[in-house]
Amino acid sequence: MRRVVVTGVGVIAPIGIGAKSFWENLLAGKVGIKRIESFDPSGLPCQIAGECPAYKIGDFVPKSYRKATKVMARDIELAVIAADDAMKDAGLQTKAYTESPQIKPERFGCNIGAGLINAQLDELTSAMHIAREGNKLDLHKWGRDGMQQLTPLWLLKYLPNMLACHVTIIHELKGPSNTITCADASSHLAIGEAFRTIQRGNADLAICGGGESKVNPMGMARHTLLKRLNETGNDSPERSVRPFDEDAAGMVNGEGAGLLILEEYEHAKARGAKIYAELAGFGASQDSYSVTEPDPSGHSYGRAIGKALADADLPPNAVDLLIPCGLAIKSHDAAELNGLAAVFGNALDRVALAPIKSQIGNLAAGSGVEACAAPLAVHHNTIPPAVNTRKPIGGRKLNVSPEVREKQVNVAVSSVYSLGGQNAALVFKKVASSQ
Amino acid sequence: MHRVVITGMGWITPMGHSIDAVWKRLLNGESGIARTTIFDAGTFPTTFSAEVKDYDLANHITDTRKHEAVGRNTRFALGACAQAWKMAGLDAEKLDLDRVGIYLGSGEGSLDFDAYTTAALSGWKDGETKLDSVKWAEIALERMNAMRELEQEPNMPLSHLALLTGARGPALNCLTACAASTQAIGEATEILRRGDADVMIGGGAHSMIHPFGVTGFNRLTALSTLNENPPQASRPFDMQRGGFVLGEGAGMVILETLEHARHRGATILAEVVGYGSTADAFRITDQDPEGMGAVVAMTEALADAKLTPRDVHYINAHGTGTRENDGNETTAIKKVFGDDAKNVPISSIKSMMGHLIAAAGSVEMICCVLAIRDQMLPPTTNYQNPDPECDLDYVPNKARPAKVDVALSNSFGFGGQNDTIIVKRFVA
Repeated sequence: MRRVVVTGVGVIAPIGIGAKSFWENLLAGKVGIKRIESFDPSGLPCQIAGECPAYKIGDFVPKSYRKATKVMARDIELAVIAADDAMKDAGLQTKAYTESPQIKPERFGCNIGAGLINAQLDELTSAMHIAREGNKLDLHKWGRDGMQQLTPLWLLKYLPNMLACHVTIIHELKGPSNTITCADASSHLAIGEAFRTIQRGNADLAICGGGESKVNPMGMARHTLLKRLNETGNDSPERSVRPFDEDAAGMVNGEGAGLLILEEYEHAKARGAKIYAELAGFGASQDSYSVTEPDPSGHSYGRAIGKALADADLPPNAVDLLIPCGLAIKSHDAAELNGLAAVFGNALDRVALAPIKSQIGNLAAGSGVEACAAPLAVHHNTIPPAVNTRKPIGGRKLNVSPEVREKQVNVAVSSVYSLGGQNAALVFKKVASSQ
Repeated sequence: MHRVVITGMGWITPMGHSIDAVWKRLLNGESGIARTTIFDAGTFPTTFSAEVKDYDLANHITDTRKHEAVGRNTRFALGACAQAWKMAGLDAEKLDLDRVGIYLGSGEGSLDFDAYTTAALSGWKDGETKLDSVKWAEIALERMNAMRELEQEPNMPLSHLALLTGARGPALNCLTACAASTQAIGEATEILRRGDADVMIGGGAHSMIHPFGVTGFNRLTALSTLNENPPQASRPFDMQRGGFVLGEGAGMVILETLEHARHRGATILAEVVGYGSTADAFRITDQDPEGMGAVVAMTEALADAKLTPRDVHYINAHGTGTRENDGNETTAIKKVFGDDAKNVPISSIKSMMGHLIAAAGSVEMICCVLAIRDQMLPPTTNYQNPDPECDLDYVPNKARPAKVDVALSNSFGFGGQNDTIIVKRFVA
C-alpha cells in the first residue's frame, strides 16, 4: 500500500491568514469571534461570527488571473487563498509561480469540500429591483429585463465545484478532481477521498480540504431558523462558543478554508519535502436517525473514528490528541461524547481534546481548518488549548486545558459530523525519522 | 480488490418513473421536452424544459412522513432509490447496515422562491446600492421556513436515503456539476473495491428548473432557445444544435461486491469495470478544445478496465447539444479510439430527455446497462443535418439492435470536470 504524508498546510481562518499565523494565534488562545462587520446584523438574534481578517484577493493569484477573481464568490476566494498558502508551504513550483512548473499536472489531484454557496444579495436584489411589483418579483419583468442586469457568468460564481476549478486552473492540476458537499463533514471527507486516490495510485499529490463562508445574511438566517446559533452571546463573543461545557449555548458561524497537500511518501522523500505527519487512516459513516439531530447514541460517529483507527492500524489508546467536532450545542455535544466513549472507553481520559471551534466558530465546509490543526500538532508536539470548556457536561471527566500544552503528539485525530448525519474521521501520525 | 456489480436500478425522469417504461420510450425516440409549467417562463429566453410530470412519491415509498419538507431533487432521489432497492431484492433486516453506504452526485435543492425574493425586495429601497439587512432579516425570519431552507443543502438527498434505507456506511455527496453522478458511481465503486462496504447506493438527483436556475443558464447562453419547437430543441451532434435543454430527475443504482451479491443470490445486471476522472485545468467557462481532459478520463477508464478501445461496443455520450461540447467530445473520442472511432456507435439520450445536470450521468449509465441487457442502442434524435466537425456514428433517430457487451459513458462538467465509467456484461 502506498503511504501518504502531509507536506503542506494552507489556512485562512478568523484568527489568521496563513497557516503560520493561524497556528500561532490558536496556541495563544486568541478568539476570532466578534460582532459581524460585513453587514449590519442588528436584525438577527445572533450578531456575532468568526469573520476572516481583511484581504485583497488579487494578492493571492497570478497577475494574469486577476480578472477571473470577479467571478469568485467569497467561498471561492477563501479556497484560493488557502491553496496559495499550502502550495508555497509545500515548496511546490506550480504554474501559478513559474513558467516551467516542477509538477506533473496529470498526477496532481484536487478535492475541495464546499457548501451551499449563497448568492450575493446586493447584486441579485439590485437586478430584481428592475422587475419588482411591490415587494414581489414579477417573473415576466424578470425574464424580459431583470435577468439582463446580471453578469453573464453569474451562475458560475455559485457552483460548489468552482472552488476546485479555480484552484486547478491557477495551479494547473489535471489529476482526479472532486468536490464533496456534505455540509460540515465536507472537508474531512474530501481529504479522505484524496488520500484514497493517492493510495490506489491515481495521483502522487493532491490538494484537499474545504472552504466556506456562512457569514452572510442567508447563512446566518438559515442557522437562526434551525435554532442552532448562540443567541445569548452577543455581549461576550470571546466566551460564546463553549464546546462540551455545561453552559454551552449554541454554535457560532465562521468562515475560512483549510487545505492540505497530501503526497505519496516516496515522492515526498525524493524531492526532500518537509513532512508534517503521515495521514494514516480515514473512516466515514452515516447516521440513520434524523436530518437535523445527531443520533444520541453517537453510534455512527464513533464508528467513523473506529474505522479510521483500524485503517491506521492503531488502537484507541494510541491517540494523543483529538480535535473533536464540538459544536457547543448541548444535545449534539452529548451525542458526540457518547460516540467517543464507545470508541475510547476508559482511554478517553488520556486523549487530550482540543475543541477549536471556541476560537474560530463553525466553518462548516471550511472545517478543513480543523483537519489542518492535527498534523500541525503532530509536527510541533503541541496541544492547542480548550479556551471555553470549564465545566464538562454531565460532570464528565475530560482531558481539556485552557492552556496550551507541550507534549509528545504521536497520533492526532480530527473528526466531524454534519447537519444531515455524515461522519468522518482522519488519523495523522508521526513519521519516524528512521523510516 | 473486489469486483463490483450492479444489482438494482431506478430512475425518475422527464419520460417516466420506471425503468422499463422510460427505456421503451427512449427506444421509440420519443421526447420529454415541452413548455415549462413549474413556473411562468413566458418571457424568459428559453420557455421550455424537460420536466418530471405526474410524479407522486407515495407511489414509490409507503411512509413519506420523514420526508415531508423535501425539495424536488430529494423527492426524485427517494423514488429512484426505492425502485433500485426493490429491484435488487435488498432486505434491511438481512443486511449489516454499517456496511451499506451511499455515494451521490446530487445538486442543491431549489430556493424557497417567494420567501427569498420577498425578503430581498423588502430590504431594497429605490436608489440604494446595498440591501438593508435589518429590514431583510425581519421579513426573512418571518417568511422563511427552517426545513425548506435546510432541504436546499446538497447533502439532503443523501441524508434522506439514509433514513429511507437505514444505511449507515460511508456516505458522501459530490457536486462536480454535470459530471457529478458519474463521479459518484465511480467513487462508490472504488469504496467497494477496497472492501470498505458491501453495498453502495450510487447515483444522483437534481432539478434546476426554477427561475434562478434557468436565469443562470440563459445568461451563460448555454440553453437552446428554440421556443417554437421544444421537442426538436435538443440536437446533439447536429449541425443546427444551439444549446442544451434543461431537465430534472434522478437515477440510482445498487452496487455490490461480487461476493456479497452472490452470497445473497442476487440477479447481476452488469459489472462496473472501469472509471477515470480528470480535470481540464483550462478555463471556468470553456472546455479544453483539444479535449485532453476527456481523452485522459476515457483512457484511464479503459486502462482501469483492462480493455482496449476496440472492446467498446457503445458510447453513451455526454452529448449536450451545445456547439462546444459535441465537437470537443467527438475530437476526444477520435483521439482515444483512433481508426476505430467510426466503428463505435455513439448516442445522446439528452436529445430526448434533456440534461439532468448532476443526475445526468447516473441516468445515462443505466441506459448503458439496459443496452447490454436488451442488445439495443437508444438513438440520438433530432439528428438531421450532419456537421463535418461531428462525423461519427451517432445512432441517428432510430434505435438499433447491436451486440453490446461493453459500454462506456462520458460526463463532463462546467469548470472542466471529466468522468468516464465503463460497464460490462457480467461473466463469472
